[in-house]
Formats: sequence, C-alpha cells, structure tokens
Amino acid sequence: MLLDVRDLRVEFTTREGVAKAVNGVSYGVAAGETLAVLGESGSGKSVTAQAVMGILDTPPGRITGGEILFKGRDLLRLKEEERRSVRGAEMAMIFQDALSSLNPVLTVGDQLGEMFVVHRGMSKKDARAKAVELMDRVRIPAAAQRVDDYPHQFSGGMRQRIMIAMALALEPDLIIADEPTTALDVTVQAQVMDLLAELQREYAMGLILITHDLGVVADVADRIAVMYAGRIVETAPVHDLYKAPAHPYTRGLLDSIPRLDHKGRELYAIKGLPPSLTAVPPGCPFHPRCPMARDVCRTDVPPLHAVERGPASGPGRGSACHFWRDCLEGSARR
Amino acid sequence: MPDTRRTHPGPEPEAGGRRPGERLPGGPPPGDHPTGDRPRGNRPDDGPDARDGAIAGTGFGGSMDLAADEGRTLEDDPGPDGGGPSGRPRSLWSDAWRDLRRNPVFVVSALLILFLVLIALRPTLLASGDPLDCDLARAQEGSRPGHPFGFNGQGCDVYTRTVHGARTSVTVGVCATLGVTLLGSVLGGLAGFFGGLWDALLSRLTDVFFAIPVVLGGLVLLSVVTSNSVWPVIGFMVLLGWPQISRISRGAVITAKQHDYVQAARALGASGPRMLLRHIAPNAIAPVIVVATIALGTYIALEATLSYLGVGLKPPTVSWGIDISSASPYIRNAPHMLLWPAGALAVTVLAFIMLGDAVRDALDPKLR
Repeated sequence: MLLDVRDLRVEFTTREGVAKAVNGVSYGVAAGETLAVLGESGSGKSVTAQAVMGILDTPPGRITGGEILFKGRDLLRLKEEERRSVRGAEMAMIFQDALSSLNPVLTVGDQLGEMFVVHRGMSKKDARAKAVELMDRVRIPAAAQRVDDYPHQFSGGMRQRIMIAMALALEPDLIIADEPTTALDVTVQAQVMDLLAELQREYAMGLILITHDLGVVADVADRIAVMYAGRIVETAPVHDLYKAPAHPYTRGLLDSIPRLDHKGRELYAIKGLPPSLTAVPPGCPFHPRCPMARDVCRTDVPPLHAVERGPASGPGRGSACHFWRDCLEGSARR
Repeated sequence: MPDTRRTHPGPEPEAGGRRPGERLPGGPPPGDHPTGDRPRGNRPDDGPDARDGAIAGTGFGGSMDLAADEGRTLEDDPGPDGGGPSGRPRSLWSDAWRDLRRNPVFVVSALLILFLVLIALRPTLLASGDPLDCDLARAQEGSRPGHPFGFNGQGCDVYTRTVHGARTSVTVGVCATLGVTLLGSVLGGLAGFFGGLWDALLSRLTDVFFAIPVVLGGLVLLSVVTSNSVWPVIGFMVLLGWPQISRISRGAVITAKQHDYVQAARALGASGPRMLLRHIAPNAIAPVIVVATIALGTYIALEATLSYLGVGLKPPTVSWGIDISSASPYIRNAPHMLLWPAGALAVTVLAFIMLGDAVRDALDPKLR
C-alpha cells in the first residue's frame, strides 16, 4: 500500500467550540490506483487531504490521532524539514482553482521551474527548459513561447494543465487532486480529467481524487470512499457502489443525479442539511436525514461493517450503516 | 445530451479511445449490467457514448486552437520595444523595469528626482553663491538680475537657499523613508508571516508608538539633542514612523499568506523563507511602496514642522522647512520668500508620489 491512512482525527478550535472535521478516517491507495473521496462541503474530505499533505493550518487545526503511513513511514512522526522534502517530490497536490493557485506575479515558467530549483538544485536556465518540456507534456500549445506568460494570460483549462504540470514535475508517487475540475466548464472538465488519468497511468502514480461530482468519479476512479460529517460512511470498488450502494447516504447521492429518462419528474433530494461539525448528532451522524433510521441509529455509532454478502458485495467493501444489508438489498431491487 | 454523459459516464470497456476506465482490473464485461444498474442504466443502448473519447479529443483540439490563437495575438502585439517572448528568462523586476521605461509618469518623476539628487549632492553646480551670505539691507526685496527669486527676511538670496536646501530636505526624506520602510516592513512582515506570540507583542508595541503624538514626542525627544545635524531628526522619524509601515506590511503579508498559491507552493515543497520572499513579498510590497512614497513627502514636511517649532534643524543649517517657517509671517508683504521653497517642497513631494504610483503599477502584472 502506497498510502495508508489509519483512524485519522483532526479538530479545529473555533469560537463555537471544537469542530471534529475528521473523525477516524481510514483509507488506502496503492500505486497506480485511483481513490475517489466523495462528499458534500464540510464532510472533511479536503481536511483529510491537507493532513496527508501536511499543509493543515495549525492552529486552528490539530491532528489529534491516527497515522498516515506513506511508503511505510508515518508522516505524522517526521520532522517538518523531512516532511517538506516529501511534499512536491514524493507527493503533490492539485488545487481546485488554478487561477488563485498560481502566483500572479511570477511567470508560469518561473513557477514550474521553481520545482526543479527547490528540489533538484537546477540552474535557472535548465529549470526553464524543463518547464517548457512539462508544458508540452500537458499539451499546452506553443509551450516555448508561452513559458514566459503570466497565469492570467492563460484560459482556465490551460491554467489547470499548468497546475497538473507543477504537480507532476518531480514525478511523485502520489497525487492528491482537490476538486481539480470544479472551477472549469463541462467540456474542459472532460479534457482535464482525461489528461490527468492518462498521465497517472503513464507514471503509475496513486491518485486521490477529491470531488463532489459523481460523474467525474465514475469515469476515472477504481475505488470510492464516501464521507459524511468527518467519517467514511461507505467504501467500495467503483462499479459495486454504483450498482448497489450499501449506505442510505450514498443511495441518496446517486438518486439525486438528474437523469434523461426521468425527464419531467421531480428530482430527488436528500432532505435536511449536513450537520454542523461542532454539534454532530449522537449515534449515526446521518440519522436525522435518513429514511431508514430506527431507534438504534440515534444512540449507537455504526462501525464500518464489512459488506461481504448480498448483491455486488465483495472484499474491500464497507458500510457504516447498522442496516447495510437492508440498504444493499433495497438498492439492488430498484 | 453531453450533460447526461457527464453525470454518468461509467467506465465501459467497449467505449473506445483512451478512456481511463479501460485499465480497471476486473471491470465488468459489457453484458454484466443488471437492469438495476441505475446510474448507468441507459448506457448500453446509448450508441454515441462510445464516441466519448473522440468527442473529448475534439474538445482538446478546439481549446488548443483557441490557446494557440491567444499565443499568436500576444506575439503579434509585442509592444513598443518588441517585448514579445524572448529567449532569456524574465523576472518580475526586469518586466517591471521594461514597463517603467515606457511610462511617461515614471520618466518625468524619475528625471525630477534625479535632478533633485544631483543638486542635493552638488548645489554649487546651479548656485555658486553662499546661502549664508546675507545683507539685511536687501531684506524682503523682490527679484532682480542675478537674484531671480529675490531675498528673504534676513536679506539672503532665496534662489541660493532653495537650491542648497534641497540637500537637507532630500536627505531627511529619503533616509527617514528608507529607515522606516526597512524596519517597518521587516518587523511587520515577519510578525504577519509567523504570527503567534511575536505578532501579538509587536502589535502592542506599535500601539504604544501610535499613542505618542508626533509633535509632542518631537518636542520632548529632540529638545535634549544638541547636535545640529540631520541625523537626530531622521532617527526620531524612524522611531515614530516604523509602526505605520509595520502595520501595513503585516496586514499585506497576512492577506497574501492566505492566497491559494502560497498554500499551493507549500504543498509543492517550498520552504518558509522561499514562500515569504518569492511568493508573499512581491504580492505584499505594493501597499508598502505606496505608503512609503507618500510618507516621504510627509517626512519632508515634518522636518519643516519640527524646524518651525525650533526642535528640528536650526539655523545656520539651510533647509526648506526653516525657510518656509521663517517666511510664513510675511506672506502678505513678500510672498516670494514663501513660494519658492514651498514650491520646491511641493514638486519634490509630488515627484516621489508619482514615482511610487508608477512603480506600484509596474509591479502588478495584471495591469499589463
């Protein structure tokens, strides 16, 4: 396993109290594998990624427990200096909004080249040549001419390509893409995702794709982890999850996708709002919104049950629902 | 139609091209979808979807064309000095310099400042007389050949004194601004970047300095100084002036620190000093430059104020401030005594403010 996150817990100290943003999250990514982390805003998916990268703002954030094993080393035990040498070289991150993630006062060539200057100690001239090479690699036309342009002179899709090029520069083993296509329009989204998936295959990197777009996930992911209120509520290989979700929340998400053959019908929506992280409901955090909730859901926190029986079940499936079996069978019948 | 494709483009082995789902080990064979496969239920009969890869490819070409067009437009419009893509690496500062050379505001103000610095260094080039050569018999007289600006209340030549006064005023203004900017931006920048205890301490310290009224502080601190050089005055201005710049640079650094690109640089392994110097400082420096250039004018004026109160520079030092204060009671009888040094002061202050403005614009690539 390339990356193995075990029982990670992150808290934020706020005025309203302690917000438990990540509450015992475990997931793993193998080399060449794509894990999609799915969830609403505030479900803790980005915070988990920031903790893995080591770029969590502390304070107000605090990692209160768990391990992050990367190639066998626990990143949380490394010194900041060692941690920094891992970032960029061995694991890199792609951010949501490429315009604000690129420094407006530096040319893209400068910023791409910086990776080589910082980590490889290259001269400015060599780094610039490498920058042109990278821009070619992510298919930016006329790279040699555009290397001296500033970020605002590029279109949105081109900027995201530059971010991808920066992340890929040192051929890391793991890339975390935090909603890489959310800020782009649909046609460009597809191109950027294709590019990312292709490069991932080429370099056999592990990829963590953080998103709330189920369409993007289905296209590129191998496995899915669905997060809700700082917990993983369901994890499964991508086909199994789409075929028969084993958690009512996942089922709600899939039912909320607009579909052509349902034209004219009212679109399903999960009722209610996600809970505030400072006041997570007792028991299963999803119970106030869950159509299947019973008394036990209000008192007992469901552990991540192994989903080993029923339709589309198999090793590696898990569901944090007391009634996962009912849910799974119900899903399969629909 | 393309929208639905986006919402459930399940990885289908039969979908051609370079669809990423293809490599999925153990992906279901085409016929393996039960009817309950809701998210992708309408896919098997969705023939055109198999062309998905091709459609994405077309999109690629389209946007590539677009970007290539952008590139061409940029090349076709290389600007007055042909500053299109050049072979050598460009930096923020070399780009700013190229911009500045073309900016008339910068050229005019820079020439003015160059001229001021020149006469501050070598006043005798323009005025060979002695500014302290005074004859009470000629007091308050108007202009006459050889003495174009007339005489002041002591009968000294106003032209000579105005030229010689540039030295003290420019020295005070430039040195005080440099001192204030260096001290203030370094302290404020570090406090903003690291935050925590040092930031809190520095913030309270600036509050203490803000509470000292400048004129009162000047009266107290400078009245004990016996030296007649400009340095105690400059030291006083730096002492009371740095908190202003410190606050501004602290705020600017905190704003810049929160930008995504600083976070991104961190995620890609940049060290603290590198983030501060390369990513934060260039984005935080603009407000500091603007305030510093405006402050430069006020420091020259403050020197005049302090001199007027008798605690700044004292005669026989020649300064615009001293001349303005000594001429102010006679503004109705002999306005020329006031207007020439005051005019010189105004032009100097204006030149520095225009310079600051031009530099700020040049350091912002988005305005290019």
